[in-house]
Amino acid sequence: MAETEGLLKDLAGKIGRIVEKPGRLYFEVADENILEVAGYLFRKMGCRLSTATAMEMYRGLEVLYQFSHDASGRYFCPRVVITDREVPKMHSIAPVVKGAEWIEREMAELFGITFEGHPFPERLLTRDNDKVPSRPLRLRRLE
Amino acid sequence: MSKTVIPIGPFHPLLEEAESFKIHVDGETVTDVEVDIGYMHRGHEFISERKTFTQSIYLVERICGICSTSHPLAFVHAVEDVDGTEIPTRAAYIRTLVGELERIHSHLLWLGLAGHFIGYDTLWMWAWRYREPVLELFEKISGNRNHYGMMRVGGVARDVRPEDIPEIAKTLDMIEKKMDMIAKAAADDPVLRTRLKGVGVLSRQAAVDYCAVGPTARASGVPIDVRKDEPKDAYGLVDFKAVVLENGDVYDKLVVRVLEIVESVKIVRQCLKKLETEPGPILNDVKEITAGEGIGRYEAPRGEVFHYVRTDGSNRPLRHKVRAPSYVNIPTCSVSCKGIPLADALITLASVDPCYCCTERAVSLVDRRGEPLSVDVLELSRRKTELLRRDIYG
Amino acid sequence: MGWYNKRLAKSLWVFHVSASPCNNCDIEILDLLTPRYDVERFGVKLVGSVRHADVLLVTGIINDKVAPYVRRVYEQAPKPVFVVGVGTCPISGCCFKESYNAHHGGEAVIPIDLYIAGCPPKPEAMIDAVVKLVGVLNG
Repeated sequence: MAETEGLLKDLAGKIGRIVEKPGRLYFEVADENILEVAGYLFRKMGCRLSTATAMEMYRGLEVLYQFSHDASGRYFCPRVVITDREVPKMHSIAPVVKGAEWIEREMAELFGITFEGHPFPERLLTRDNDKVPSRPLRLRRLE
Repeated sequence: MSKTVIPIGPFHPLLEEAESFKIHVDGETVTDVEVDIGYMHRGHEFISERKTFTQSIYLVERICGICSTSHPLAFVHAVEDVDGTEIPTRAAYIRTLVGELERIHSHLLWLGLAGHFIGYDTLWMWAWRYREPVLELFEKISGNRNHYGMMRVGGVARDVRPEDIPEIAKTLDMIEKKMDMIAKAAADDPVLRTRLKGVGVLSRQAAVDYCAVGPTARASGVPIDVRKDEPKDAYGLVDFKAVVLENGDVYDKLVVRVLEIVESVKIVRQCLKKLETEPGPILNDVKEITAGEGIGRYEAPRGEVFHYVRTDGSNRPLRHKVRAPSYVNIPTCSVSCKGIPLADALITLASVDPCYCCTERAVSLVDRRGEPLSVDVLELSRRKTELLRRDIYG
Repeated sequence: MGWYNKRLAKSLWVFHVSASPCNNCDIEILDLLTPRYDVERFGVKLVGSVRHADVLLVTGIINDKVAPYVRRVYEQAPKPVFVVGVGTCPISGCCFKESYNAHHGGEAVIPIDLYIAGCPPKPEAMIDAVVKLVGVLNG
């Protein structure tokens, strides 16, 4: 597909392991490159951020951003793997994609990830609710 | 600092010091809107990991009562996306039929609420009265007025009986006629147009920046509609139009929803015709889901519902992520509410159609010096309509 | 208080407390006001302030964030007040009972006098409950 080829060419060197399925492209990106990749998808390709998902796996915490390319109905999903499970942190893409503000706040409170550069890093769903255990979605996982 | 909470309607609690929108005002003009959520947080993603796929369908229905078929549809799309499972054609038509009937009932519900907020209680009663036959149709098709339990991975749970089809068609005829009546009444009313035109504008660039979806985005000129962008089920087999307007104000959002009801009636008619002649199974019994990940989405009445499922080969999801459309639409209020008079704040907040379970509409007002105000925003909104009516009709 | 209850039963004013519901029960409660079911003919009215309420309709699982506020609303309601739990959520938490944020049934927060089961309960069931309540109040 034309968009996929353009993406792989322009961001060569910044993209790691790729998993391709019909209509979906999942690829790994290092933390230092995520801002550039997000900017490319959002501004150059005109994708829209649907949401982001955080998961805890044996190899670390994975943050998967899901960008929808509405013109073709396909999804482009960069994945960042954070290996430090005690103090997980990564760059926030909120300065580039305004629609990422809320979802990064939610991942921060449910998983304990610090998003560096986020404009309002306050709790979203569990503010003023001290009975909720902190980082409630963190559990051991099998790969 | 103590805050005052103003309830905005008989169906919201007067909970002191609980707020979901904090509106900053300067005199009579709104300067900023802050959003605080968390009152409905029930921990769906936590519970979902402890349930099987089929149990999760019943769980996600109860995320929201109004769009209670959109979440199961997006979820089964996600699970089917893991392996690329196909569904039988008859099941596709039934899924689309239920989904579009739900769109009709949800938009009628919103229309009634919008009427209530600006003081047109008659519109509220009309819209909800004509919504009742749609709920009865659901009871006929699925057994319950809400929370239908119709979806399964690989198809649907129940079939539409041939003897029910004429009754569905008759209800559709009635809805079309009444929608025509309501639309004409709304378009001909100068007070309504003055109240809603040019109010709470969301520019196209802001809609793109905030990644808005659904009628909120389509009223601002962003032509996104999951039914056209990635047609699943029977959307690729029926003929319909995605309604896109360009002003981004509350009036356009209302017109988008009214026109979408008309398009939905068209889609349901086409599905009924196919169901009369297309036999076949309604479920492709899936025995196993391999390890992998799947993305599923559906165009709910409020916008794109997104589900992501990560599987490990067992019968439970490893990770299940849910993103409802109001999650991305509600932050747009901080743009569309800036600079509008306070009397219009309520209808602007309501125009993105926030799903109740993401927000409660208890509102608190704070003025320039940070001091709380006690003003009834619902009263303000209705009083403005009265004044306009007096101006126009004398 | 028997004669007082009889006066109350003639026209019950209800206040709706929505404490983390999925909103289906709330919509069905609102449906009672619309022309099909029309409970206003029984004198039942939905009020905007808890100070005017005779009956509190509680929906939802009452998560940890709203629980103190629900308690406060109950204390502010002028007694005697009757609390009705609408739906399966206030009975046992429905499908959310395993959540980290839920109580096991509304009784943990406020005393509930009448339960209406169903997910959501049909409007006919709610009218039946109102009639039963009126019957109890009438002795």
